[in-house]
Amino acid sequence: MGSLDSYLPIFILFVLALAFAGLSIVASKLLAPQRPTSAKEAPYECGIVPAEAPPQRFPVRFYLVAMIFVIFDIEIIFLFPWAVVYNQLGRFGLVEIIVFAASVFFSFLYLVANGALDWGPVKRVRPVASEQSRTTTSTVRRVGHGTGEAA
Amino acid sequence: MTGSTGVLGALAAHLLGAGGLVLPHLNYSTILPELILLGGMLVILAASALSPRPLPTEVYATATVGLGIASLIASLVLWRDVTSHGAFTAIARSIDVDGFAVFFLVVVSCILIVAPMFAAGYLRREGITGCEYYVLALISGSGAMFMASANDLILIFLGLEILSIPLYVLAGLDHRREASGEAAMKYFVLGAFSSAIFVYGIALTYGATGSTNLAEIGAFLSRNVITSNGVLLGGLALLLVGFAFKVAAVPFHMWTPDVYQGAPTPATGFMAAMAKAGGFAALLRVFVSTFPTLRTSWQPVVWVLAILTLVLGAVVAIVQNDVKRMLAYSSINHAGFVLLGLEAATARGIAGSLYYVFVYSLLVLGSFAVVAAVGGNGDADHDISRYRGLGRRRPVLAVGFAILLLAQAGAPFTTGFFSKFYVVEAAVAAHSYALAVIAMGSAGVAAFFYLRVVFVMFSDVGIAGASDVSRGGGEIARAGAVAAEVREQDATLLGGAGASAVATLVAPAYVAAPELAPEGTPSEPEVSVSPWVTTGLVLCVGATLVFGIWPQPLVDFAHQATLIF
Repeated sequence: MGSLDSYLPIFILFVLALAFAGLSIVASKLLAPQRPTSAKEAPYECGIVPAEAPPQRFPVRFYLVAMIFVIFDIEIIFLFPWAVVYNQLGRFGLVEIIVFAASVFFSFLYLVANGALDWGPVKRVRPVASEQSRTTTSTVRRVGHGTGEAA
Repeated sequence: MTGSTGVLGALAAHLLGAGGLVLPHLNYSTILPELILLGGMLVILAASALSPRPLPTEVYATATVGLGIASLIASLVLWRDVTSHGAFTAIARSIDVDGFAVFFLVVVSCILIVAPMFAAGYLRREGITGCEYYVLALISGSGAMFMASANDLILIFLGLEILSIPLYVLAGLDHRREASGEAAMKYFVLGAFSSAIFVYGIALTYGATGSTNLAEIGAFLSRNVITSNGVLLGGLALLLVGFAFKVAAVPFHMWTPDVYQGAPTPATGFMAAMAKAGGFAALLRVFVSTFPTLRTSWQPVVWVLAILTLVLGAVVAIVQNDVKRMLAYSSINHAGFVLLGLEAATARGIAGSLYYVFVYSLLVLGSFAVVAAVGGNGDADHDISRYRGLGRRRPVLAVGFAILLLAQAGAPFTTGFFSKFYVVEAAVAAHSYALAVIAMGSAGVAAFFYLRVVFVMFSDVGIAGASDVSRGGGEIARAGAVAAEVREQDATLLGGAGASAVATLVAPAYVAAPELAPEGTPSEPEVSVSPWVTTGLVLCVGATLVFGIWPQPLVDFAHQATLIF
């Protein structure tokens, strides 16, 4: 069982994590005064109180922008330590990082070419079957164009 | 900002140590096939993004076929290096360049040459534009190549993910169809789950042996006798589960029928061929070359897996009336045959498995291509009734499909016969007699459902009780057993091949006959085959027949691949 000794720190961390979560819940129950109001029970305690229910479906572009962000986030995560040890890595590091950056750039190129950053109404290739009541022209108020049609 | 720079600088200084950073010597020529695929993929992606109007799908298909041929040539150059200088490791000992790896590089290249041909016709018919299929196929292929040549568990895992993630997307390529999206979701959830299990297996193996490098693990195990190896066996079990998911071995096959049925048909053929090639490449290398000292521990488990896979794949396929789903179960049955070679764990067994994977890849690609063509617009209707009278309407297509199905059943004069023969022979040589008998029995049962499709194609009568096929289950099983017995007796002697073939061919067809009854008004769906699909089918059927009649080159290739490794 000697080899299992090295797992002891992991086990201790696991117990600590459980204990921390449990203690936090118990402590807040015991220590915090319980005077609930409707504002406190709202999902978000700060910000503007929504006047109407938010739309159930978000345009897929929000997710695409999030994906682009993640792609470049990852690139920066790799670039930063590379820059720190640039002198030791030398030509090898430069070539590797150029290859890496190029492949990231190609994926960005693909995203942009497929309209990931085109906002506003786009020409639909195929008609949408449902959701006729809520379209891009009825919900998106285009600044400077009034509420008119896109084209 | 300065604070974090300081921390990172300290970390870097710690990592670099006093002697400076040791950079791996990168021998790019050893991973040239992978680089060709990935580089070409980026060029295709850029071309599709920069071209002012959408390029036709045939342009991408041509480019992909060209890249497949280029990587095939690069693989053959590596093969020449290996045969003249022997096997070697490269890039910080994480890449193995041996006959085993190069064999799979060739298999993957061949899949990438044929698969785009089948996709081009389908994507044009279904109105799916864009380069996505081809780009994803190329990434997936490079992942399978990395899995085959990896000498490190971490690299195997990276290859597994590079292989799998494009396959999840390919399953959902036709996202307008609900079934396609469902298939992608199921495949993704279960695939991600199995990857997690696999990584945990790596962690336990590392904990027990102190390395992720396959050669070092093997050396450690041969140097040390481990008295309590619970952690190592646990790691081994989790690795096996991860691989079994990817190659669809029972009881880890649950995703296979739904995903294969829901995915766009050319994507199904591609994932069936590619996932099995990559999965079996890594499975065979890890278990046979790294853990031979633990053979008594893993062999019984593989024995059970093989039997379950063989039997369930064959038996459940019988009751399928959807040809696409039937082929999905038949691919499970094929996975069982490849496991036969792993269970034997001899050079003969590995050679048999290698040969089987190669043969199976081309057979399954061609079969699903015909299914895609017959399935018609929308890729929705794959009922066996659509195949009725295909032999009269499209005789050449029907004959081609019949050859592919007969080869899958193991008929002589096709590559399918030799592939089954070699793995069963290896099992017999390794004294796994029960396994060999069950394998032959399942081949007999499997022959029934392949021949049923062939029979339907070449008869103009309809199927009366298509849904109560199971009624004849007893008879089928008996006929299958008879056929299997005959084959079993003859299999050891190549000379008796003809007799066994007659038995397999006649017995199930005879049982199938009473189920067929004339039908009133047969509606005959239109089947259109594009020149691209025709070319691909000619290649698949041609390889099946040529290497079936003249098997020596391919068999020698598989045998040499194991000798060098």
